[in-house]
Amino acid sequence: MSGMLKCKECFDLLMDYLDHNLDTDTRGRLDAHFAACPPCVNFLESYQSCSEVAQQLRDQSAEIPQELEGRLKAFLREEVARG
Amino acid sequence: MKTKEFQQNEVIQGIKEGNPEVIDDFVQRFSRPLFGVILNYTKNPSDAEEILQDSLVRVIRKIDTFREESALWPWIKRIAVNNSIMWLRKHRTARQREVQFEDSGPQFSEDGYLQDSVFRWALDPEDVMLNQELAGQLYDAIQSLPFEYRAPLVLKDIEGYPIRQIASLLELKEATAKTRIHRARLFLRENLAHYLEGKA
Repeated sequence: MSGMLKCKECFDLLMDYLDHNLDTDTRGRLDAHFAACPPCVNFLESYQSCSEVAQQLRDQSAEIPQELEGRLKAFLREEVARG
Repeated sequence: MKTKEFQQNEVIQGIKEGNPEVIDDFVQRFSRPLFGVILNYTKNPSDAEEILQDSLVRVIRKIDTFREESALWPWIKRIAVNNSIMWLRKHRTARQREVQFEDSGPQFSEDGYLQDSVFRWALDPEDVMLNQELAGQLYDAIQSLPFEYRAPLVLKDIEGYPIRQIASLLELKEATAKTRIHRARLFLRENLAHYLEGKA
């Protein structure tokens, strides 16, 4: 195992770290850096937070104009009738 | 569960037969959630309406290729996602293609260490939807990203697609897709940090 990673090196590996795509050695080196570097932990937490919060926008229904639904029904009925 | 499967089969069969009542029910059931999915890719309502109409037509035309043992919603949603990406790629204006996207990452010293202190914040995802203002801030920040960054971010963080599939859908190398998602997240992080610092 090589020496301590620098902040910049950890920063470049953040996405793979959160996706669990790093080999055990590299992950361990990032963990060691985070254990000793509070600013990086602050950054990691907020970076991860953004990604998690974005997931909340999944499968959200949206209000659609009333007349749009009617137009879609008419359009699709015609589309099906045309074959 | 049995009732649900039966309803799905009924909808599929009705679409195949061109049954007008089933078509109406299909629009009623799926247009609203699909509109929500599409609005993650574009906030322009008229674009979203056009993509929605085109997606529903594609679903109807492709219904014979649907494997009936699968769930209908993920299949329909995938068609809408693919369609949104294709449509937006095709209709991007020259101005949108030229948008410069500045790095939003932290500053490092020459020897690779963080230069400034980092404002500490993290959000509880469960609370976010209770705070409509914050949700709106996040949505607007995503929408302000250029398409090249918005599309991979939405696919990864909102839709949960794996990198390989994102790269394939957007015709990018996996490394490029990852870099764009990373930069888009940095932009969102910076945007929300400013917002939350302003509230503090």
